[in-house]
Amino acid sequence: MNAHTVALVQSLVVVAWLAVPPQAQDDEALKKDLTAVIALHGLPCGQVVEVKVLAESDYAATCKDSNRYRVYLNAAGRVVVEPQK
Amino acid sequence: MRLAHAALLLLLAVGCARNKAETIPEPQVAAPQPRTRQPAPTPVDPAAPRPAPARAPAPAPRAGTPAQPAATQVAPPVAEAPAPAPSLDLNALKERLKDTNAIGFFTKITLKNQVDDLLDQFRAYHQGKAKVTMTDLRRSYELLMMKVLSLLQDDDQVLASAIVSSREAIWGLLADPKTFATLQA
Repeated sequence: MNAHTVALVQSLVVVAWLAVPPQAQDDEALKKDLTAVIALHGLPCGQVVEVKVLAESDYAATCKDSNRYRVYLNAAGRVVVEPQK
Repeated sequence: MRLAHAALLLLLAVGCARNKAETIPEPQVAAPQPRTRQPAPTPVDPAAPRPAPARAPAPAPRAGTPAQPAATQVAPPVAEAPAPAPSLDLNALKERLKDTNAIGFFTKITLKNQVDDLLDQFRAYHQGKAKVTMTDLRRSYELLMMKVLSLLQDDDQVLASAIVSSREAIWGLLADPKTFATLQA
C-alpha cells in the first residue's frame, strides 16, 4: 500500500513537472509579444519581465528598466500602449 | 622483480610519449598547408564575384537613404531581380504575416495598425491632401520594413528574405497613384 502511494505521488510530481513548461512558454511568448509591441511604439523598455492580466487583451507590463505600461486593444482595433507611473 | 617490471613499464610509457610527441608536429605542419592554400583563391575571387557584390549592396543603401538614391538604384535590381528570389504582392504579404508564428498576436495587430497608418498617408499624398513628401513616405516605408524584418529575421527567415526581395516591388505599387488606387479598390 505504501509502495502504491509512493508511486502515485511520484507520478503526480512528474505530471506536474511536465505540465508547467507549456504555461511558462506561453508566459514567455506573451512577454516577447509585449516587448515587441512596446518597441514598435518607440517606447523604452528593453524587455518585459512581468505581465499582469487586467482583462481580456489588456495587460500591465513591467520592463527590465522598471518602466511600466498598460497594453491593450481598444474598441477601434488598435493596440494602445500607455505608460504607467 | 617488481621494480624491474615497473622500470620496463616506465620505459615503454616514455617511448610511447616520445612517439606521440614526434607525431603531433606532423599534422601541425600539414595543417597550415591547406590554410595557406585557402586564402590564395580568395584574391582570385574578386574578378569572378563582381556580379554578387553588385546585388548585395543594392538593398543596403535603400534602408538608410531617402528617395532619390533609392530611385536611382531601382533600375539595376529590376534587371537582376527575375533570377534570384520569389516576390510577394501586398495581399500575399498580409497572408504570410498573418500565418507566421514568428511574431505574436499583439505585434501583428500593431504592425497592421502601422501599415494602415502608412496607407492613409499614401492615400492623402495621392489625393494631394497631405503635406508629406515622397521622401517622407519612403522613409516611413523603409522604417516600417525594418521593423517587420527585425521581428521576422530570427524566427522566419524565409518570409524575411521574401519581404526583402519584394521591397522595391511593393514600394512601386504604393508610389504609383494608379496601382495604389487599384489596391484600395
